[in-house]
Amino acid sequence: MDKLTRFKEIIAQYCQVAAEDMREDMRFREDLGFSSLDFMSFLGEIEDDFDVELDEERLIDINTIGEAMNMINGLQGA
Amino acid sequence: MNNLRELWDESANKYYNLPAVRWLKKKEICEKTYGELSDDIAKIRRGLKAAGFEGSHIALIGNSSVCWIQAYLGITTGNNTAVPLDAGLPAEDLTDLINRADAEALFLGEKQAVLAMQIRKECKKIKKIWLLSDDDIEDALTLSDLKAAGGRAEDVPGRGEDEVATIIYTSGTTGKSKGVMLTQGNLAHNVESVDYTVEPGAVLLSVLPIHHAFCLVMDWLKGFSLGAVVCVNDSYMHMVRNMGIFKPEVMLMVPLMIETIYKKLSSSGPLIPKKIVANKAFGGRLRIIFTGGAHLDPFYIDKFKEYGIDVLEGYGMSECSPVISSNSPEDHKPGSIGRPLKNVELKFENGEILVRGSSVMKGYYRMPEETAKALKDGWLHTGDKGYIDEDGYLFINGRVKNLIIMSNGENISPEEIENKLALHPLIGEIIITGENNGLVARIYPDEEVVKSKRLKEESIRTALQAVIDAYNREQPSYRQVTGLIVRNEPFPRNATGKIKRQEAAA
Repeated sequence: MDKLTRFKEIIAQYCQVAAEDMREDMRFREDLGFSSLDFMSFLGEIEDDFDVELDEERLIDINTIGEAMNMINGLQGA
Repeated sequence: MNNLRELWDESANKYYNLPAVRWLKKKEICEKTYGELSDDIAKIRRGLKAAGFEGSHIALIGNSSVCWIQAYLGITTGNNTAVPLDAGLPAEDLTDLINRADAEALFLGEKQAVLAMQIRKECKKIKKIWLLSDDDIEDALTLSDLKAAGGRAEDVPGRGEDEVATIIYTSGTTGKSKGVMLTQGNLAHNVESVDYTVEPGAVLLSVLPIHHAFCLVMDWLKGFSLGAVVCVNDSYMHMVRNMGIFKPEVMLMVPLMIETIYKKLSSSGPLIPKKIVANKAFGGRLRIIFTGGAHLDPFYIDKFKEYGIDVLEGYGMSECSPVISSNSPEDHKPGSIGRPLKNVELKFENGEILVRGSSVMKGYYRMPEETAKALKDGWLHTGDKGYIDEDGYLFINGRVKNLIIMSNGENISPEEIENKLALHPLIGEIIITGENNGLVARIYPDEEVVKSKRLKEESIRTALQAVIDAYNREQPSYRQVTGLIVRNEPFPRNATGKIKRQEAAA
């Protein structure tokens, strides 16, 4: 399974939108209905699944699926 | 027990060699016993006296940590008053609260250390700031410096039952947060009166913000009174992982957490046995979740029972130190908020719940008018409507006051946000409402500004969204506005000129 598909599958556990219907410009809160805690819990899962360490201070800039994916790619590439 | 000194000393003596606190440092689990923690608390208490603080208000800003709780108990088992503040608030709100609380010293979390300079500049009464760290840090005083100073100093006795132990800030319906004064007796009696017990050594994982009365009193003070090990959750991001690491038996949660965990549980599909799912999600030992702060759909109580976990709902508010009623493992009714505690008397006035008892606050700090409105002849007007059923269980069925209760238990005063946003010239009229667990702003743009700038509908919307985005960046997540509705006409008003909130939100 490619990274983006796995990423969307994890997101789908927290919302009513199916992984195949997700677009990268979708916003976690407004479009996917994430609560602030859903978002934090989701990121914790991403840390474990993708083996990255996220900096909580930087999370404020993450609004969309694409932005979150870019952050993960950046950390994995680093 | 009549004060926190008695409460703490009794636990420290009884459970001296048992672990009191566990926390993570990187990936390593650290712990302190009751004996070690007691020693630290006494050093801080003596250090404060040596530094000249007696009968002083001392603020705390920081996330949950072993240093935070040491400092809190160092303040309150001695003869000072603790003022715990929400570390997520914008700097201007924090400095305002420090000033309004007349705080003379401050314990500041390492993550919040950048605020120190602004606080020194704007809070003239603050004489000392200690960072909540056990390390020595150059150019800053830390908890370790205070403990070192306290090592040689004289001790002080605990305070009397009626003296103020803590001032906790809570959302005011008038838009200005109010400092709830809780006495030593208020807190000690609330701890004693909540009817549940665990064996000494039982593990609790504390996941709520520590400056909230529910977490401070029920996780920490109640946990310590029972000889439990209270574990620190270092981040919401790691709550599920930390449940696996610490393996708690009991947790306090707000409904939002229960909803989030349930989403995860239910996504695992019907083929995996519930016991295995629960082991993975909760660490394998969790049997009780106490919840309060907002309404929980009884659906979750049934669902969690399938995973072997009792979800027990309670009711309280900071003004009552905080628990008023609670379901307990032996005595509960789903959908109710339990029976009133033994130190609580209840009565109803036009459906509103009124509370009297030894955990009811002394009043709001320096707000005599607000105090007189809330406390009449010793009866606290809760602002909630409810009733007691034939079996003695309390139920809530409405609200008197205009507060938005988020499912994380935060009470939001819509006026507070409206007043702030209304300062922007483009905002003519604004109403904030709570919908689907988010905040929605309904805005009627200022006619003059729209006319003079010749703004079109779409650019008005873009400009208003930018105002909200700028506001959100400064706010903790529970106070962020996530929806915007732009109105084409002014809000309906009543005879006295006030906006009719119910109609405005329809």
